[in-house]
Order: sequence, then C-alpha cells, then structure tokens
Amino acid sequence: MPSYAMAIDLDRCMGCRACMEACKVENNTPEAAFWMYVFRFEEGAYPDVNVSFLPRPCQHCDNPPCVKVCPVGARYKQEDGLVLSDFDRCIGCRYCEVACPYGVNYFNWKHPEENYYLDWDDPELEEVTGGAVPPYANPDLGQPHGTEGRNVAGGGNTKGVTEKCTFCVQRLEKGLLPACVANCPVSVFAFGDLDDPGSAVSTAVAGRPHFSLLEEAGTKPRVFYLGENPISRESKQLEEVRKRA
Amino acid sequence: MRRTIVFGWLIAGFFLQATAYFFLGAKLGIPQSPANSNPRVPYAGLVFICGVMMVFISAVIYELLPDREDKGQTGDVRDGREYGR
Amino acid sequence: MAQRVGTYTYGSEPTERLPYGIGRVTGPWLFAAALAAGAFGFGVYAYYRQYTEGEVITGMRDIGTMGGTPWGLYVVFIAYFVGVSFAGIILAALIRLMNLHQLKPVARIAEVLTVIALVCAACCVLADLGNPIRGLLNLPRYARPGSPLFGTFTLVISGYMFASLVYLYLDSRRDAMICARVPGRLQTFHRIWAAGYRDTPAQRRRHYTASFWLAIAIVPLLVTAHSTLGFVFGLQIGRPGWHSALQAPSFVIMAGVSGTGLLIVAAAIMRRALGEQERLTGEVFRWLNNLLLVLILAYLYLWIVETLSSVYQGGEQEVEVTRALFTGEYATLFWLVLALLLSALALLIAQFFRPGLALVAGVTAGVLVNVAAIFKRFLLVIPSQTHGPLLPYSPGHYSPTWVEYGVVIGLFGFGTLLFIGFAKTFPIIHLPEAEKERAA
Repeated sequence: MPSYAMAIDLDRCMGCRACMEACKVENNTPEAAFWMYVFRFEEGAYPDVNVSFLPRPCQHCDNPPCVKVCPVGARYKQEDGLVLSDFDRCIGCRYCEVACPYGVNYFNWKHPEENYYLDWDDPELEEVTGGAVPPYANPDLGQPHGTEGRNVAGGGNTKGVTEKCTFCVQRLEKGLLPACVANCPVSVFAFGDLDDPGSAVSTAVAGRPHFSLLEEAGTKPRVFYLGENPISRESKQLEEVRKRA
Repeated sequence: MRRTIVFGWLIAGFFLQATAYFFLGAKLGIPQSPANSNPRVPYAGLVFICGVMMVFISAVIYELLPDREDKGQTGDVRDGREYGR
Repeated sequence: MAQRVGTYTYGSEPTERLPYGIGRVTGPWLFAAALAAGAFGFGVYAYYRQYTEGEVITGMRDIGTMGGTPWGLYVVFIAYFVGVSFAGIILAALIRLMNLHQLKPVARIAEVLTVIALVCAACCVLADLGNPIRGLLNLPRYARPGSPLFGTFTLVISGYMFASLVYLYLDSRRDAMICARVPGRLQTFHRIWAAGYRDTPAQRRRHYTASFWLAIAIVPLLVTAHSTLGFVFGLQIGRPGWHSALQAPSFVIMAGVSGTGLLIVAAAIMRRALGEQERLTGEVFRWLNNLLLVLILAYLYLWIVETLSSVYQGGEQEVEVTRALFTGEYATLFWLVLALLLSALALLIAQFFRPGLALVAGVTAGVLVNVAAIFKRFLLVIPSQTHGPLLPYSPGHYSPTWVEYGVVIGLFGFGTLLFIGFAKTFPIIHLPEAEKERAA
C-alpha cells in the first residue's frame, strides 16, 4: 500500500498557475472553485519589493479535521493517505469546510448545468469549438474510484455537496501523476510514495530542509514545502478575493 | 413486577446507547482508514436514538402500566376531595 | 363549591365549557394565526426557491478564496432555537427538584416552548443542508459518533425533544382527564391523552416519583446537549475565535439566558390573553426575573474571560477576529449586544429592589436578551469565518439575502402557529386543582 505525499519546491514556483488550469480541466471544477490554488504574495515597497508564490492543494492531513467532523463519513481517509469525499453520501452540511484550517473545500452552490464557465447549449459555442461540445469532458469522472470504489472523482456534478482536491485519484489508479504535478512547466511538484526511499517525493524531502503549512495546528499534512515560507506578517495578497455572482 | 420491567427497560436503554456509541458506530480515534468513517453496523445512529428514547419511555411505562395497587381505588377530584381508598 | 378560574367554572356538574377558550376560535386568535400562517407561507416559498435553485441564492459562499461564509444565518438560528429550548427543562427541574410549586403555572408554557423550539431547530438544520432528503436518510444510517454534530442530531434533536415530550405528556395527563369530562369534538383526543388517569393516590404518587427521576435525568441531558452544540464550534482548531474550551459552558449559559427570557415573554402574553392574573402572579415573574439576572451575570463573566484570554496573548488570527469585533466591521453589532445585555441587567436589578416593576421589567428584559442572543450567535458564527482563516486569504464578507430571512421568519411563524394551536387544544396553564390538593 503506497503512502502518497507531495513536495512543492517554492524556489522554483514562478506563479504561472498552470497547475490551477490543469486541475480545473482534469477535474471539471465549477466556477470560482480552485481545488489547487496558488497564492501570490507581495512584500515591501518599491523599489524593494519581493514577490513570492505558494501553491496550496488539499494537504491530505494525517490528522484531518474534516474527516473527524463529517457526521455521515462522506469525507474519509484511505490507507494510502488520500482524504476523499464521497458525493453520494455527502449531505451538504459544510462542516468539513468550516473545520479545515487551510480553506481547501468548495461547496456546490448551484445546479451542475449552471455551474460552469460556458453554456454548453449555446450554438455560438458549438461553432467556435467546431462541434466538440464540451471540448473536453474527462471520461473518468462520474465513475467509482479509490480503494473503496466510491463516487469521489471530479467536481461540480452534484448540487449541494462539498468537494476538494483528490490528488487526482482517478489518475493515480491508472499509474499517472496528478494533473498539477504532470503539467507544471518548471517541475515544482514531486509526488509519490513516501515509504519508498527512491520515489520523487522522498528524494526531494530527504535532501533539503522543508516545512508544512500550519504545523502548529497538529493536522500532520502530507504536503511538504521546500524553500522559504513566504507567509510573513508583511506579506499581502496581490489580488482581491473574488466572489461568485 | 412493574419496577422490574421498568428497571430492565431502563438498563436496556443505557446498554443500547453505550453499545451503539462505542461498538456499532464508526471506530473512534484519529482517522487512519475508512473504518473511522463507516459504521460497523448500519443504522448504528438509529440504535443510539432508540436507546435514548427507551430510557425516557421507561417513565411512561412506570406511570401507565397497571399494577396490583391500582385495583380497588377510585379517585375523584370533585371539590378537591378523594372518594374511595 | 364552585371556583372561578379565568373563563371556566367548575365544581358544578355537568361541566359545560373547556377552560382557557380551548376548542373555541376567537377573533384575536384567528388574527394571530393568520399572521403566523402568512409568515410560514413566506418561509415555505423562500425555501422552495432555495431547494430548486440551490443555495447560491443565499448570501453564503465558500471560505478562503471566495471570501464568503459557508455557515450563515441558518446556523445562527439553529444555535438560537436550541438555546431557547433550555427554558422548559430547567423550569421542570426547578419545580420538581427544588419544590418551587409557585412556578407550576408556567411549567407547561415552558415545556411546550422547549418542544417547539427543538422542532424549529430541526427544521432549520434541514433548511441549511445542501441535500436535506439525503440528510434524513443518511444520518440514521451512517451517523459517526466521532463527529460533534452526532451529539446535535441524536442527543439534542432526538433525545432532548423526546425527553421533553415525555415530560410534557406525563405532566399533563391530569389536565387531560379533567378536560375529557367536557363533551365536544376534543373529548376523544383528551381521553386518549389521559390514557386512563383517574387521579388515584397511587397514580399521583407514581407520577410524583416518575417526574422526579425524569427531572433528574433530563438535567444532565440538557447540559450534554447544549455542550455538544458548543463543541461543534469549540473543537475547531482551524477557526480562531471558535476554538476555545469555554464554548461548551458558554452555550449552556446563553441557552439559559435566551430560554428564560422568551419564557417570561410567552408567560406574560398568556397571562394577558387568558386573564390569569391571579395565578401568574408578580411573584412568579419575580422568580423568573431573578433566574434571568443570575444567568446574564454568569454569561457576562464567561464573555469577559473569553475576550481577555484572546486579547492578552491570542494567536495572530484570534487577535484579528477580536479586532474585527471591537473596532472593525462587526463593532456596531458587538457593542449593541453588550448594550442590550447591560440594559436587561439594569432592568432586572431595578425590579429586584422595586418588586412592583416585575412584569414590565421582566418582559422588556426578555425581549432585549433574545435580540442580544440572536446577534451574539451571529457574532460567534460569522467573524471567525470572514476574518479568522489561518492562511492569508483576504478578509471576507457575508450579508444574508431575502431567502435566508424568509426561511427564518417562516420558522418563527411555524413555531407561533404550533404554540397557539396547542393553546387552543389543551390547557396551556396547569388547571388549578393540582395546587389545591398539594396545599391540602
């Protein structure tokens, strides 16, 4: 049984957010839901400005507050380390969302048909895409996945449930890497089996000092950051928070 | 006789609660596998609620179950006095 | 020996009319019922829109990148309704365990208030869920004891409500027996309710014992139930402002404040509506007022302790939440709540020294503390979500939409309908013979 973990090299990250795009395409997440999110921080004043970036997937904690508070066990922890959300069992109480210290959960506030960036019924859209509407729909979504065989993959297809990053469980089962890891142009991510000393994540973590986010919260996250922690008292986000209409 | 039934019912109620909470529901503790998120017996929550309800129904049984001492007594609240004993 | 009680004369045979206007619909009652039904209808429409369109039409949004609050007005009122349900049981416990028989006339008002408040809390939970039908099906099947919400669903809504219903039922069989003597449409209903109660000495003795032990059993259930609701918030390390060991006791005490306050208001209304000035005396209200006074003082103490702890050496985010409360976005509401509680306190201290003010001071204080309780719950639930995130997201914002207000107003209408409906089918105040016999 592998023990999945992720290492993120902050010295390499340049804030291009290709990982956010890849996650969105792979998992079909709805508007304004960013299972993978990249913080952009700015520190100091001109001319001594420092800009840094921090990718924030779900941390798949070993002491996950979201799993502990779920009243029906829709949010569960697999033995291989992944924390997954069962869309068939979820009752939509959003307790996992308020319990998570990292803010990685997204609730489906709308109907799936109204939840996406484009109106797939629009004839103009069909013209633009050359008849392929939707241009890409991941066939793996909507199938049972994970060691329990439950409906855990993909986003936005059930109204009134809470969902989050799954480390692309549907890709892991096929022997592929998560979409963010596979699509980063500068190899920020290392992903693999922490129990295997030769895996990418073990090699990445072994050599360099690393930290995890909110270690003092006791959540024991499985995402390790290499490099310097960009979060400081002086850092502020480069852009305002966007709310869905 | 009634006391035995009521007491037994009460103990059964508490027993159901404790069993459902510790042994029938999902395993307690820091989540390490799906066993912490799935009940060991389905409808364990319902069993727990039945246990709570049983504890309080025992009071209803105590009051409503007819017993030996009820026979031969009439009560009447006219004028606030009791008739018969 | 006929005795006049309200609109009912008994001691003369045969009895002709049910007491307290039961079974007879009057103009003012119809007016109140119409208002309540209107509010309820509006709530149903608002919920229908939410159910079909999704919760996007509420003001709630995701925490973090979306800068919203996934828990909004519904959770505020779940906490409020569960809090109000404190009233019945504490009164039943006081009357039975401390032999405070002068409070007996308000007992049934309190018990009915408890049951209705819990029903409204349950409906509010369903209104908040993203998949309520699934909630009803999956909760009994999959409920996890490890989740703090397990206590809310099982102990609070099921156990506590059931215990209160049992207490209400057993305590009212005698009045049902009396009402069952009057022929009419409700006679069968009262007869079934009485279930063979004939007021023999043995039955009275059994009822005394049973209600004594019930009261003893319900008090720990009350503390556990309100504490688990406090744990829902207090155990979350991820939410500064919530994470505190004082949440559980704080919820118990605040429940007492809002429950007692609403009970005073309901008792005063019933006193006026049913003309029961002789039994719902100034002494009854003075007692309830003094109880409310003590509870407010206890709550203020807990509030001060909590605030001092976070201000002196709180974590960075906790200080941020406190700043938002004291001087930031929520300052108006925060200081208003404090002002309301202190005003209620002043009124209650005044009536402590000038007993003639008991009724007026009590009702005003009751209204003030309930408004304060609603706002205080809001100040608990919302700021920790908008200003509390531990990762540096920008601060968020929440304002409820008409849908949320509509559902909440509908719930109040529903509760009012249930209350006045009950008052028209069963005596809302204990029929007086019970006290006469106890004195004999």
